[in-house]
Amino acid sequence: MTTQSLQYQLKDSESIGEVMTALTAQFTLTSEPEKTVRYVLHDSFDWRLFQAGLQLEELRATGRHELTLRKLDGGTACETIRLEGAVPAFFQHYAPGLLRDRLADCLAMRALLPQVEIRRRERLLRVLDSEQKTVLRIVLQEQEARPPGRGEYQPMVALVGLLSVRGYDKPLRQVSRFLTRTLELQPQSDALITLGLAAIGRRPLDYSSKLNFQLQPGTPAGEVARQIHRALLDTLETNLPGTRADLDSEFLHDLRVAVRRTRSALSQIKGVFPEDEVEKYKERFAWIGQLTGPTRDLDVYLLGYDDYRDSLPEPYRPDLDPLHRFLVNHQKSEQRAMVRKLNSPHFHTLLKEWRAFLDTESAPESICPNAHKPIGKVAGKRISRTFFRVLEEGLAITPHSPPEALHELRKGCKKLRYLLEFFQSLYPAERVKPLIKNLKGLLDNLGDFQDLEVQADKLRKFAHQMVEEGDVPADTLLAMGMLVDGLLKRQQASRQVFADRFARFADAKQVAVYQELFGGRRKKRVADGEPA
Amino acid sequence: MRIIGVYNIKGGVGKTATAVNLAYLSAQAGLRTLVWDLDPQGAASYYFRIKPRIKGGGRKMLKGKRELDRLIKGSDFENLDLLPADFSYRNMDLMLGEAKGPVKQLLRLLRPLAEEYDRIYLDCPPSISLVSENIFRAADALLVPTIPTTLSLRTYEQMVEFLAGHKVGNVKRMPFFSMVDRRKRMHLDMIKQLPERFPELLKAHIPYASDVERMGHFRAPLGSFAPRSAAAIAYDALWQELEGALKS
Repeated sequence: MTTQSLQYQLKDSESIGEVMTALTAQFTLTSEPEKTVRYVLHDSFDWRLFQAGLQLEELRATGRHELTLRKLDGGTACETIRLEGAVPAFFQHYAPGLLRDRLADCLAMRALLPQVEIRRRERLLRVLDSEQKTVLRIVLQEQEARPPGRGEYQPMVALVGLLSVRGYDKPLRQVSRFLTRTLELQPQSDALITLGLAAIGRRPLDYSSKLNFQLQPGTPAGEVARQIHRALLDTLETNLPGTRADLDSEFLHDLRVAVRRTRSALSQIKGVFPEDEVEKYKERFAWIGQLTGPTRDLDVYLLGYDDYRDSLPEPYRPDLDPLHRFLVNHQKSEQRAMVRKLNSPHFHTLLKEWRAFLDTESAPESICPNAHKPIGKVAGKRISRTFFRVLEEGLAITPHSPPEALHELRKGCKKLRYLLEFFQSLYPAERVKPLIKNLKGLLDNLGDFQDLEVQADKLRKFAHQMVEEGDVPADTLLAMGMLVDGLLKRQQASRQVFADRFARFADAKQVAVYQELFGGRRKKRVADGEPA
Repeated sequence: MRIIGVYNIKGGVGKTATAVNLAYLSAQAGLRTLVWDLDPQGAASYYFRIKPRIKGGGRKMLKGKRELDRLIKGSDFENLDLLPADFSYRNMDLMLGEAKGPVKQLLRLLRPLAEEYDRIYLDCPPSISLVSENIFRAADALLVPTIPTTLSLRTYEQMVEFLAGHKVGNVKRMPFFSMVDRRKRMHLDMIKQLPERFPELLKAHIPYASDVERMGHFRAPLGSFAPRSAAAIAYDALWQELEGALKS
């Protein structure tokens, strides 16, 4: 079914008539009546389909309502389904098949959102051969775009599309040559979603939760700190509407990450803001962390629920159903409680004041000793100090150390990770990226060790809560007990892996890279720490 | 992908019209559909205005020097492609005889198309031969257009016997009445009596209709020029029944 398609951009929509006249004079054509079709293009908030090179288009035309997943490159359709109602938001809501599999791979827990709506008037021309057979289709398209379901339509580029008929390459070449050489049209290879978004002043990938600062080593540290904080605040605010509406669990997650990074940046980039302000905002942002925590906890359980269920032997799985209902109900009520707080004047004032603080002139040097120093120096020093502290703490851990020692180490590692991520553009990517990757490996392990215990603990609390709230079947409690057991076993297993992960992090070569990139303070102590 | 063979030992029973019209309906429903014109007379290719011309002929193709892929031609309709007939197909039996594992050659050729097409219709030549044996092995369903006469019934029984004898048990036999003339006593009698003897008989009947003959004039499937004709409606019912069986 593979067919080639090419498209060309018209100078303006008036020239459609001219192109049609020119084509009719040159080739044997039949024309079909003009049709109007509407497209809504869908993707997740963070463009997971686009990143995977895909475009999901909902088409409405007379008697047709379809959803097509298409490759951005070349535009071939991967799969088309007919739609009965609205486009399902989550992959789980699709019928088993190719489309669902592809969506599952790309989207995971994220919801599909309408990104742009396009109205297109199109006229189909067919090029015929001597047998009166169609050997090429030409589509003339006039189109306009708007944000989904609202606002005025904005003009988009008009296009001539050529859809080859399989096995008839020559007419495709002839017509395309005519369009480019005689009519001097420019090829246009952008995907429909890119063209549509451009018309409404947007572009794909305009949101990402990843940090991407382009810093210069000579910029004053105070300025850089403001830049980082502003970007984090932007991320926080961008995720607020989706968090309030609970479109999917990632809005809240990204919001919380922005808050954690803000708190970390406040305490880690030292001496750039007045001390009392820093303390005040650290506390206020901690409040956002607390008010969003309970909802996130329940989100985490719901996201992991299928895995929990599958970890039990088959006959016990249905016993967990009441737990699922409990989680769903409590998530809903926690979500409502959280939204009330997010809508409170207190919350709004916090964001407003923080924005105003970031936009004011920096305080005199006497209060903020580092604010005017170049960031290159300040960053290197911070990273180096944090790294060596983490290294020392880690080296001190033995198989007999209490869990608290690992929890502390995790905190230090997180700080280090945020610092590396904030400042990575100051260093050669090929050197700093492997450091982050190794650190992430260690952090994942430490995270498992702590989270699995917390989860086990929390499940026990849920069990008590369920008993208090009404009659819960004994079988459900037993099944939850099995889950707790499984979690604790996995926690123990993660402890076994720790030594290996840490050894990779504390590898002599890695330490040398840290020293080289960020400064080599405490050389002697490290040498002491290493086995002779 | 599902492969549907349209077959009868007898000629002139409406095989090509069935393959072409059902394939058209399948494509209209959004299924990516291919018709392989295996009949050397090339009637399906003619209906789709495609000239039968395969350089090097079928022999080369079976030896794998040329992929089927490059020979496929798009039709006038979306989602509907054709693999044209070629006169050298008349030597197909000989060629299949030369190949290794001659009864599975067709399936081997079709397999790479599985990702590209949802439905492949084989318009088969009449007679029992190595070609037909290949078709029996490749197809998921075997549509057998049958004129409701005593003679047609005998050929159907011969086919059933052949399938049993050659252990081609997997293929779903789907005979249906074709070219039904309600003015003929024998047609009416057969339609009444046979379902009991052959429970596999489909419920849809295709009437004998001049509209079907007009396909040759329009060189197009019935649904594209006379969608409300009795014959077109009958083909639609047949297609629905076939799809129902393929999904179950």
